[in-house]
Amino acid sequence: MIKQFLLGLAVAAAPVVAAAHSKSEATTPADGATVTEVSELSMRFDDPMRIISVTLTATDDDIEIERETGMEPATEFRAMPLEELAPGSYRFDWRGMASDGHPMQGSFSFTVTE
Amino acid sequence: MDGLAVLAIVAKAIGYGATLLAIGGVLFSVVFAKRAEASVLRLARQLAVGAALVGLAVLAIRFGIRAARISGMGFEGATDPMMLGFVWESPLGTAAIWRGVGEIAILAVLVPRIGQWIALVGSLAVAISFAQVGHALGDPRMVLAVMLALHILAAAFWVGALVPLRRAALTPSGVDVLHHFGNVAAFGVAFLIFAGTALAWLLSGSVTALFGTAYGLGLLLKVAIVAVLLGFAAFNKIRLVPALRAEKPGATHALRRSISIEMLAVVLILLATATITSVTTPPVNL
Repeated sequence: MIKQFLLGLAVAAAPVVAAAHSKSEATTPADGATVTEVSELSMRFDDPMRIISVTLTATDDDIEIERETGMEPATEFRAMPLEELAPGSYRFDWRGMASDGHPMQGSFSFTVTE
Repeated sequence: MDGLAVLAIVAKAIGYGATLLAIGGVLFSVVFAKRAEASVLRLARQLAVGAALVGLAVLAIRFGIRAARISGMGFEGATDPMMLGFVWESPLGTAAIWRGVGEIAILAVLVPRIGQWIALVGSLAVAISFAQVGHALGDPRMVLAVMLALHILAAAFWVGALVPLRRAALTPSGVDVLHHFGNVAAFGVAFLIFAGTALAWLLSGSVTALFGTAYGLGLLLKVAIVAVLLGFAAFNKIRLVPALRAEKPGATHALRRSISIEMLAVVLILLATATITSVTTPPVNL
């Protein structure tokens, strides 16, 4: 019963949590966008965010990226793909910690075409 | 919602429980020093020490869980020095110092005379530690901090008294202790409700926010369980304790069972609180 209660509350809260600490988050490429080339991956936050782990995944495997922003808290995060991204769909995932110590995570997806 | 997040909520709830029992055990042994039997006071002190030790362990475990969650490495991140360093630098680190030092000071309750004063100061430090994390750091910070510390002290007095009171019901002086608790707790509950309402008001901002947000609905659920708990407490004070005084048959059993139900309600309240403070955001911060 307790587990169901926790899950129920979590489901009810999910949209709220997603909106909580990253109000003006904007990404490049934009979430859901279709682009022809990707020279950099970036995210902006309204409050300094310590981005700890990032992964870029294509349909079947991880793509190597180089971080320009380190692990210090920042309002802008930047990384570059090490090689040109082939056409296909990509998903960028990140995890980190907000300035109030709250564990945070998020993702955005985009498609590359010829 | 991943496994680590669920684990973090359960650890937080256990941490809350340990904190309330540790502070409450100290408060009980001080407030009832002259009224309760030695065996009951000893139980209260042992409870405080046991809970403080559990609290210290949970504090360490929560650090590991937090490090694992931010690392993205799963459980391996729990022992990663760099991740632990990030957690230490965050407000959780500051809160951990207050809580850790406070819980260690509570262990002094076993030392005769001077020990209880050290433990009282420790209890205050533990209560203040809660004002060092999360949305209690918002504005007006001082008011939020004082209200939260008061709310925790009042809740701890009540929760920490349940186990010793349940034992006291079996002792010859038990009726006096229970009667006195009823009188002190009436003020404690008034305090608890005042501070809780003030916090809800400051963090919600409006009545509509209570019904329209996950935080608000979670809070209303918590208040509903608290209301049930208050009902049992009032029934104990008005009916069962007088019945015990009148030496009615079965009065001891009925009172002890009622206190056990109160304990169950407390567990549900702590789980609800840990969930609300982990997965939802106060409306004023949205």
